[in-house]
Amino acid sequence: MIASFAAALNRSFRHWSLLPAVVVFVALTVYPMVNLLRMSVSTIEFAEGRAHWSFTPARNVALLASDAVLPAAVINTALFVVAAVAIEVFLGLLLALLVARLERGKGLVRTAMILPILVPPVAIGSMWKLMYNYDFGVFNQTLVALGAAPVNWLGSTSIALASVVAVDIWHWVPFVFLILFAAVEGIPPDVIEAARIDGASTVQIARRVMIPLLKPALAVALIFRGILAFKTFDEVYLLTSGGPGTATELVSLHLYRVYFEQNLLGYGALLSLALIAMIVAALLVSRRALRGMSRA
Amino acid sequence: MRHIFRAIAAAALAAAFGVAAPGAQAQQPFADVGKQPPITILINSSPWYGGFEKTVELYEKQTGNKVKLDTTPYGGMLEKARNAVRGDKSPYDLINLDTQWTIEFYEGGFLTPLKDIDPAFDLPKEVLTYGDSGYWNAAKRWRTPNGGKLMAWSPNGNVDLFLYREDLLKAAGIAPPKTWDDVLASCAKLQDPPRMYATVIRGERGNGIRFEWMYFMLGKGATVVKDAEKGDYTVTINSPQAKAALDLFIEVAKRCGPPNAGALGQGDVIQLLATGKAAQAMVVSAAWSNFDDPAKSAVVGKIMAVPVPAPAGGKPPALLGNWNMAVPKNVPDAQKKAALAFSRWFLTAGAQRAYAEAGSIPVRSDTFQSDLAQNPKFRWMNAYLTMQKYATQELGYAEGAQVEQILGLRLNQALIGEMSSGKALNTAAKEIEDLFRKNGRRTGSLPPLPE
Repeated sequence: MIASFAAALNRSFRHWSLLPAVVVFVALTVYPMVNLLRMSVSTIEFAEGRAHWSFTPARNVALLASDAVLPAAVINTALFVVAAVAIEVFLGLLLALLVARLERGKGLVRTAMILPILVPPVAIGSMWKLMYNYDFGVFNQTLVALGAAPVNWLGSTSIALASVVAVDIWHWVPFVFLILFAAVEGIPPDVIEAARIDGASTVQIARRVMIPLLKPALAVALIFRGILAFKTFDEVYLLTSGGPGTATELVSLHLYRVYFEQNLLGYGALLSLALIAMIVAALLVSRRALRGMSRA
Repeated sequence: MRHIFRAIAAAALAAAFGVAAPGAQAQQPFADVGKQPPITILINSSPWYGGFEKTVELYEKQTGNKVKLDTTPYGGMLEKARNAVRGDKSPYDLINLDTQWTIEFYEGGFLTPLKDIDPAFDLPKEVLTYGDSGYWNAAKRWRTPNGGKLMAWSPNGNVDLFLYREDLLKAAGIAPPKTWDDVLASCAKLQDPPRMYATVIRGERGNGIRFEWMYFMLGKGATVVKDAEKGDYTVTINSPQAKAALDLFIEVAKRCGPPNAGALGQGDVIQLLATGKAAQAMVVSAAWSNFDDPAKSAVVGKIMAVPVPAPAGGKPPALLGNWNMAVPKNVPDAQKKAALAFSRWFLTAGAQRAYAEAGSIPVRSDTFQSDLAQNPKFRWMNAYLTMQKYATQELGYAEGAQVEQILGLRLNQALIGEMSSGKALNTAAKEIEDLFRKNGRRTGSLPPLPE
């Protein structure tokens, strides 16, 4: 009897051993997601010192449909993600290829490139806000010293989003560089050597040999940066707070206003789900595009 | 024995702080609050914080009671306060709330009416009540002492002042402005961009432009809704008067200010005036200390204050932006009593004088009327008192934060030229009406303005 129980326990141990991981997964991932889903179909109001939940999915959907700022936020977010990620990956790749050719000082470059990633986002926002300042910023002072007119970096509807994208590029190009640089360093030298013996030029080696070999690393960089770019908040909050008008309003910033300033917790949860859906859709599209690239 | 020692210490400190008020105040400038347990206060790091901190230090020295300050930037205050009151036990015994946030906390039942802690507690008659934002009538859902309970007191009441460079105006032969026409006339002489801007006003999206524009709105006799206190939420923001106010605001901001008028925040306005790049500015009173501090200002002693100009033929406008100190419901009774003891002490004439001398805006009328007002250091006080006379609370309803966001965006879009003023106000009116309708308010709207 005892022996058969021990044997059964032994057989099922591999399942039981997963329990701690399952508990952690449920507590940290499943429960918050279920709670988010529950919130998204509810209205949460506070009275008599406690929260009162009511089931109002139609109300939240109506709020989503009638949200006048959301369309601008979605368009800006799409523009921001495409522009920032594309430029970051291009520059990161270019830097990785150039630094890989260095014979000395690779370590120094790699260390220096980490610095922007280490700066806290709040410091980045404050620093760039000062540099963009219309009257006192270093950019406009340089322009004026050169005899040019100052530029309204953060106050012009046509430039503000580009100014925010520029800060994001400065912040995240090193991240992309580090991923791609590691991948470039991992390419076997004999492959490149063989191409060179076959008469390939440097550009041809980069285009026909290195970039195809870097596709897995490029995919990782694109996916990581894409997800993070969708969620960008601190830079835009500190630089422009979404203005002027809705020129730099991103979905994450709008979400913050809905949750924390308007205190619409149910609608905020629905908006969070919409943002998650946007990210998933973008990932699926980019995965398909990457697959297409690999087949080509 | 301890009481005698405390009284002597209080008298010595009062003398050290230059307390010279006559009569009863001189006899008892501070309250004796006895020994209290330590308390923690959630307080914002606004321009007046330095004065608050020094006054708290005085309280600690004088009473021996301990106060811990959780000093938080404005951006984090609301969430810290929400988290504190929604939990089982608040880590704060006093929380400081922006006037716009109070309704959420009053309606949510998260605060303790001050008379529930001590039925004998009342605000001294000299204490300014800032549009009665510390009272809450739950049945009426309105902040009023009529049928309302005292929930909070104000440690700070901001109104805008119109600050100007005395030296520049004198040199240009311009008198301090009384109307916006005066301001526009002065712009012709003073505007010399990018070396000098004649008048700078906050125009950035959100609270900044909403708050400043409302001075123009009130001056033109316009309103956001018809009569919210009586439950009539008919939206009146797209009235011809409101449009005139917006057109005037845009004209002043664009003709007299920098090209980035639509992105100017509070810090920018203060910076332009303090660095000598602006001749005049509309600034909250709490920012005054920046201009007389040689470490922060290039124009020490050159700035003067007058009430915010009225539109020609319009009313003197004033809008309140005060803070409210309240006791959460979820703190133990002994802590509530200690919080109330601090409140009682803080609102005394002696503490308020020390508060003013430390660079803050006092909240007692007798402090403004004391000899301090004659001191050049406090030359803003007369303008402040005049503004106080006319000051009102706006957006004092549960939807206030959402209305502010709507107005903050649409006004900014009008200022930067994305929309005409008529279209901006029509759009705002429609959005505000929809909001009230969804919340079951009695609402309606005016015919749209020509766009």
